[in-house]
Amino acid sequence: MVALSPSAPTPARAPARASRRGRRATLVAWGFAAPFLILFLVFMAGPIVASLAMSFTDLTTRDLQTPFNVDFVAFENYVRLFDDPRFLRSLLNTSIFVIVGVPLTMALALAVALALNTGIDRFRTVFRVGYYAPVVTSIVAIAIVWRFILQPDGLLNAFLGWFGIQGPEWLQSTTWALPSLILMAVWRNIGTLMVIFLAGLQGVPKEHHEAAMVDGANAFQRFGNITLPAMRPTLLFAAVITGIGFLQFFEEPFVMTRGGPLDSTLSTAMYTYNQFGFGNYSFASAASYVLFLAIVALSLIQFRLLGRRD
Amino acid sequence: MSTITGGTQMTDAAGAGASTAATVTGAPRRRRPRPRWWLYVVLTLGLVAMVMPFVWMILGSFKTNAEIRQYPTNFWPLDPTIDNYTQLFGRLDFATFFTNSIIVASFVTLGNIVFSSMVGYALAKLEFRGKRLLFLLVLGTLMVPGVVTFVPLFVLTANLGLVNSYPGLILPFLITPLGVFLMRQFMLSLPDDIIEAARIDGAGEWRIFARVIMPLCGPAVATLTILTFLASWNNFLWPLVVATTEDKYTLPVALALYSVGQNAAQYGLMMAGAVVVVVPVLLIFVVLQRYFVQGIALTGIK
Amino acid sequence: MNRWRSHRALRRLTTAGAVVAAGAIILTGCGRGDGGGASGPESKGSIDDEPATGAVEVWAMGNEGEVLGQLAAQFEEENPDVTIDVTAVPWESAHDRIATAIAGGETPDISMLGTTWVGEFAATGAFEPTPDGLVDEGSFFDGSWDTTIVDDVAYGIPWYVDTRVLYYRTDLAEAAGVEAPETWDEYKAFAKALQAQGATSGVSLPPGGFDSWQYVTPLAWQQGGDILDGETFTLDSPEWQEAFEFYGSFFEEGISEPVRLEGGEIEQKFIAGEVGSFYSGPFHVSLLLEQGGAEFADKFAVAMVPGADSRTSFTGGGNLAVFNDSDNRDASWKFVRWLAEPETQVQWYDISTDLPSVEAAWDDPVFSDDPYLSVFGEQLTDSKAPPAIPTWAQVSAVIDQELEKVTRGETSVEDALAAVQQQAESIGTGQ
Repeated sequence: MVALSPSAPTPARAPARASRRGRRATLVAWGFAAPFLILFLVFMAGPIVASLAMSFTDLTTRDLQTPFNVDFVAFENYVRLFDDPRFLRSLLNTSIFVIVGVPLTMALALAVALALNTGIDRFRTVFRVGYYAPVVTSIVAIAIVWRFILQPDGLLNAFLGWFGIQGPEWLQSTTWALPSLILMAVWRNIGTLMVIFLAGLQGVPKEHHEAAMVDGANAFQRFGNITLPAMRPTLLFAAVITGIGFLQFFEEPFVMTRGGPLDSTLSTAMYTYNQFGFGNYSFASAASYVLFLAIVALSLIQFRLLGRRD
Repeated sequence: MSTITGGTQMTDAAGAGASTAATVTGAPRRRRPRPRWWLYVVLTLGLVAMVMPFVWMILGSFKTNAEIRQYPTNFWPLDPTIDNYTQLFGRLDFATFFTNSIIVASFVTLGNIVFSSMVGYALAKLEFRGKRLLFLLVLGTLMVPGVVTFVPLFVLTANLGLVNSYPGLILPFLITPLGVFLMRQFMLSLPDDIIEAARIDGAGEWRIFARVIMPLCGPAVATLTILTFLASWNNFLWPLVVATTEDKYTLPVALALYSVGQNAAQYGLMMAGAVVVVVPVLLIFVVLQRYFVQGIALTGIK
Repeated sequence: MNRWRSHRALRRLTTAGAVVAAGAIILTGCGRGDGGGASGPESKGSIDDEPATGAVEVWAMGNEGEVLGQLAAQFEEENPDVTIDVTAVPWESAHDRIATAIAGGETPDISMLGTTWVGEFAATGAFEPTPDGLVDEGSFFDGSWDTTIVDDVAYGIPWYVDTRVLYYRTDLAEAAGVEAPETWDEYKAFAKALQAQGATSGVSLPPGGFDSWQYVTPLAWQQGGDILDGETFTLDSPEWQEAFEFYGSFFEEGISEPVRLEGGEIEQKFIAGEVGSFYSGPFHVSLLLEQGGAEFADKFAVAMVPGADSRTSFTGGGNLAVFNDSDNRDASWKFVRWLAEPETQVQWYDISTDLPSVEAAWDDPVFSDDPYLSVFGEQLTDSKAPPAIPTWAQVSAVIDQELEKVTRGETSVEDALAAVQQQAESIGTGQ
């Protein structure tokens, strides 16, 4: 029952020996955590507190040399954010992106990982490297090739033309630009998740599979009853980092559309980036912390769905 | 039965006892699933869609600048040239930038493997006061958008006197919350029984960590290495800001000198640069993906 | 049931964080106080004519960073006790690098700047004003010198310049019997005529979006309109109305395709004859000659932009600024002064193909005898830059956005400009 009751017992009530052992265990555990803690305290804690504090001030570029010479404005930046229709639009775009993109990427990556892990026994390396390729391909090359695919007389519309479908101008259309970028992001992110899933699959005890096979369970039953539950921690990790990545959706609109046409692909991360570029540091910090809260909320949902035993 | 992966209870239905029998009787006949030709077809189609830009990038690096900008673009170079590469190596102090990148990425990767595993172990397998707080700290830090802490982090680095130094490039990334989270999640799925067994044998926690747990973490460490090395290797903004003189530039920073001009981009050079950058990453990937082999987990446990 | 505990703990952690942060502000943030800036910007005295000494660290972007060393070697020869250390900085994120360097107190002695960055960075107090008598401001193009002026104080100098002219297909124009336009009316007729010769776009213009303000603002300037009148935005003036309407009419009448052509696409479409004309800077000349093949040189020309009361174009380029923190300001300013000498500027063109910001340099036959460059030289005498206010990037983004709504027919010109003006006023001039 250890895993279910991790909180330390109150020392006063616990027997003396257990308490001593508990204290020792705590000491050992913090020893393991020491390097992280030290680096956290030196390099992460300060900047995080400073940036959060910044979001409650009116700091802009002009204050770069005198960051303490600013006014405390409480929640004004946050209020202004939610007054800005462009910010609200960016939240909407980002939500659509996450809701469609995250499940799609995870499902495809899991399918690829399963296929490459157990479905085939030849050319595994070739396939693994190939599916990982988008992750390491230069974003410039990706942008050029995807523009070639998506332009009005591009590959995609030529393909649709075979079926008599007149494709839209994908990136110039306020309806189709966002779906196009979602597709592109899914394509780019499958590789990373595939790697994580491939590693996670190695932790699924083979004996369990073999036992189930003997019992006559088919592939789908084995997947649902054995693989998925055993992969739960990995799935949770994958879901959380994909959620974080997609909520900070930036590169695709940056290289493909600059947030256009008419803000239809403006993401919150891009909105924030623009504000940083304008030198509105405190306002941009506020936008980042709204994004942070969204990430926390999404992660809580994911922990609830997938983290039953954590 | 407090163990690990949620699968344990489920498979109890199949019977823990039956499992032993299965390995004996079922193994020789049904070890490997039969290869399915349709799966190869589907995977190959997918493969083409995945690698096309990559192949285009490689081919592009052998095109002249004029050809690469042609519209519509040719797939194969009409007039293959290695000019881009000779220019790249001729104009860049390549050895310096490559060495800097290797130094930074190696330390960052090594640091993440060692330190993330340690914290991950504590979070996954040890019971202690403040454990939940520590985990929340890790997750919370992971979730803060990096862009927001960028300027404060630089001011801090400047105040520590680390600007334009290797420590300044390495230390802020020596351990990442992502790595800790990854290792914790993988270690959660390792059975507690082996740890209990080792404890009964009188092994200390450090020994258990180093001798029992880490050897089982091959796939996880391989994953962490791939993710961390790639992130560090491609990192652009931080080295751009911290490395104030060219002798500390990393490869992506140096290559960016030729990428986005104020006006016309030199695509041929950019593609050649991108190919050069990608080679070490791919090598590492090819070597490490061999660790994704089933059978490491649980062998030797009753 | 841990997840519940996690929720609670997380909430507690968040609250704690907010409290700590608020506390930090209350304890350390002393507020802006009165005056705005502490003391007004002040130069630290004039620069003598003695040889420069000591080390000078210079940041320069992209190609300039790569080749400036060659030019600096001459300065070192003339001033044996000085060393100029040039660091090449990628254009990509160079702005962020300078901003963080200012925040961290890690600035070099001199940096090259995009012309539109001066206002923003000068507002931090990181730059030293140009010393009196260092250079003669009258020797620079007016539009370029203005890019150094923030609140009536000059920071640094314009180093090289860039302006837009009209590129057009001479073969199409000849076939249609039209000549390079000088007025708006001629311009529209010209673009229509090129289109009648087979071009899909008589003139290619971005239908809004990133940096499209650079195309529409000159139209307002050409009628005597401007962005600011003193401290007040005048973005809803009749001149701007006209400008937006004229710009939008090219899309309405189908003379310009509502497609944003990225770098690389435009010259290909121009060579293919799909684009009859477009606006661009000098770099496109060599690009077109390189990609169009030898015979293409006879098929295109450049001309001053058409206009109304004036034929004003947009100017940009690169400036040089000296940082307040410089340990060697004397030598830094001496180097800057040397870079602004007409002979140095001509040499710099040889090395970098950057156009001189000093008018006198244009008397050199390299420029005056060149059929393309001479047009740029002429255009530079009637070209303008946006005001060097720290908030310009933000204001111009609003113009980009509203212009796109107009060209897409989502809103009327009146509403668009009312929105631009209202948002610009709420953003302010940052002063």
